[in-house]
Amino acid sequence: MKFKADRATLLKALAHVQSVVEKRNTLPILANILINARDGRLALTATDMEIAVVQEAAANVSQEGATTAPAATLYEIVRKLPEGVEVEFEHGGGDAALVLRAGRFATSLNALPVDDFPVMTAGSLPHRFSLPARMLRGMIDRTRFAISTEETRYYLNGIYLHATESEGTPVLRAVATDGHRLARVEERLPEGASGMPGVIVPRKTIAELRKLLEETSDEVAIALSDTRIQFSLGPVTLTSKLIDGTFPEYERVIPRGNDKILRVAKKDFAEAVGRVAAISLERARPVKLSLARDLLVLSAASPEHGTATEELDGARVHYDSGPLEIGFQARYITDITDQIEGEVEFLLADGGAPTVVRDAGDMSALYVLMPMRV
Amino acid sequence: MPLASDQAPEHRRIIHIDMDAFYASVEQRDNPALRGVPLAVGGAGPRGVVAAASYEARRFGVHSAMASLRARRQCPDLVFVAPRFEVYKAVSRQVHAILACYTPLIQPLSLDEAYLDVTAPLLDRGSATAIAREIKMRIRAETGLTASAGVSYNKFLAKIASDHRKPDGLFVITPQIGPLFVANLAVAKFHGIGPVTAARMAALGIHTGGDLRGYPLAFLIARFGKAGAFYYAAARGEDTRPVVAERRRKSLGAETTFARDLTVWDELVSALAPLLAKLWSTYEREGLSGRTVTVKVKYADFQQITRSRTMAGAIISPAMIERISFDLLRPLFPPRRGIRLLGVALSHLDAAPDPPARQLALALA
Repeated sequence: MKFKADRATLLKALAHVQSVVEKRNTLPILANILINARDGRLALTATDMEIAVVQEAAANVSQEGATTAPAATLYEIVRKLPEGVEVEFEHGGGDAALVLRAGRFATSLNALPVDDFPVMTAGSLPHRFSLPARMLRGMIDRTRFAISTEETRYYLNGIYLHATESEGTPVLRAVATDGHRLARVEERLPEGASGMPGVIVPRKTIAELRKLLEETSDEVAIALSDTRIQFSLGPVTLTSKLIDGTFPEYERVIPRGNDKILRVAKKDFAEAVGRVAAISLERARPVKLSLARDLLVLSAASPEHGTATEELDGARVHYDSGPLEIGFQARYITDITDQIEGEVEFLLADGGAPTVVRDAGDMSALYVLMPMRV
Repeated sequence: MPLASDQAPEHRRIIHIDMDAFYASVEQRDNPALRGVPLAVGGAGPRGVVAAASYEARRFGVHSAMASLRARRQCPDLVFVAPRFEVYKAVSRQVHAILACYTPLIQPLSLDEAYLDVTAPLLDRGSATAIAREIKMRIRAETGLTASAGVSYNKFLAKIASDHRKPDGLFVITPQIGPLFVANLAVAKFHGIGPVTAARMAALGIHTGGDLRGYPLAFLIARFGKAGAFYYAAARGEDTRPVVAERRRKSLGAETTFARDLTVWDELVSALAPLLAKLWSTYEREGLSGRTVTVKVKYADFQQITRSRTMAGAIISPAMIERISFDLLRPLFPPRRGIRLLGVALSHLDAAPDPPARQLALALA
């Protein structure tokens, strides 16, 4: 194998694939990326056996072939090469070393056999549709914070993506929950998605996908089966296993009858929550919301540091139901307000009941927040 | 904060897990020379008591709580080993971690026994029996030890069930067979009926659950007091006691004896750090909430003093314990004699006037 490619192209390609590689590996081959030079193109593949990312890039291939080399080392070397330089890769086949030359720099990297590199097969992916990158980003950003990290309920360790109907309109929904809060985002169902099974996309896949989405504004092609999902973003293809489990019937935990409505300007509210919560460094301490007509008092207490309160009144708060007190973890509130633009709407029942939070100006997302018993 | 299932008693799924000859099995696991040998864990001395006996020893009638001298008479080949409670505790924690995958409602009775309420399990395996089977398998795989499991619809029957096929047993008592099973069971086998009560019952002609069932509640209460009500229900295979996952801890402490007596404040400050770290990690892991910090100082002449302070609110950070400990210890310096031991303890664990706020959970299926 022998090819040349420019540093910028290589660096970008390596950056995309290398983050899939687990830092600590039991199998040495999993620390490597597969380098495949063929048909005047270069394909780099990294996998952790759950996810595989393949990146194609332009290259000047003088001899076709393939090998594997340590991802982290390769990335580090290419990153440190001078800008604009052309990099030459040469590999003699078998267990020969991979030689990399750039200008007067040369390195010889230990390669591992291509046959040892685990191939992740996607199998047949009968359901195919596409989403604008911006829309997919929005669905991820507004749900991923609620993904559970608790391993016993492994079926919550991802985003549940499924086709359903919302008030008679077919929608594609993304849902995540950690058992304390739930985030549900829906968009118009794209063509081709109507027969898709509900799938749970693992957290790491979401994180990798989100990084890739940072750099594109094109359509993302999505193909899936019961067990695999594949995202194609131009020259990059991410294939992932899906979580083999049943996502709970989440609709049951979304309250329908909450009739006490609080509306509050997001910026003022989020900043006040941040200030009040600063009294306690404990992550799980609650911020208490005390509500009266057009008045919201935020308070927090720490047995060690003291107390803090802030009032938000008529100009920024609309509430015309009876007095109510309810406590939430500050971070749970800000995770949601981070995703809201203008006005936050709370639909409350009482201090111990699930509360619905929405962006008053955008009904595509809905959040359910469980209070803390204070 | 005690947890308890709010399910109606008749719909519960209870598992009783009982490690087989626990201490003895751990010793046999860790020392191949002890395998197949009649073994007693406990003190061999004249005042020693058998803490646990291996199945080989039990064949000679050796059982736990028996005086070691008597055990030796009954089984002259009996091998004694000293107990290693730290190891048993570690294994017990391993087992507890397995159990905790299936339900938060775990009531440990000792290091080797626990009740689980799996009416609403965290990991659904289709049935309580399937959960019990998986737990046994995992205990075997992860600790190399066997456990017996009893599955039933209440604690009384779950415990009887785990005893029924020991060792390495799994037995299920369904609501259909429960009453009949109890009717045929000797009352002496009822947990909660000891030899004395069994003898009193025998004097009344009560030998089995069926016999017991013939007596009205009022009679049993008159004869046996409050326990009579339990016997009355038990004879019908009924037991409404919930599985209560409670923390019984009243205080939590850590102490250390120094290789060389301390006299300087800075030395004490550095000696305190690892103690507090240890204390805090347990405090945090167990989700405790305490208000009182007590420091203990033992001088070179073995005179011991304690100083304590109770806060208005719960202690919620290691810095807080450190500050209070420093406040309590500083007046003791310079010490009259060298300090040989330093201890720190947290107490008032249940009496927090400001209970920690509790995050409520969504009612996901």
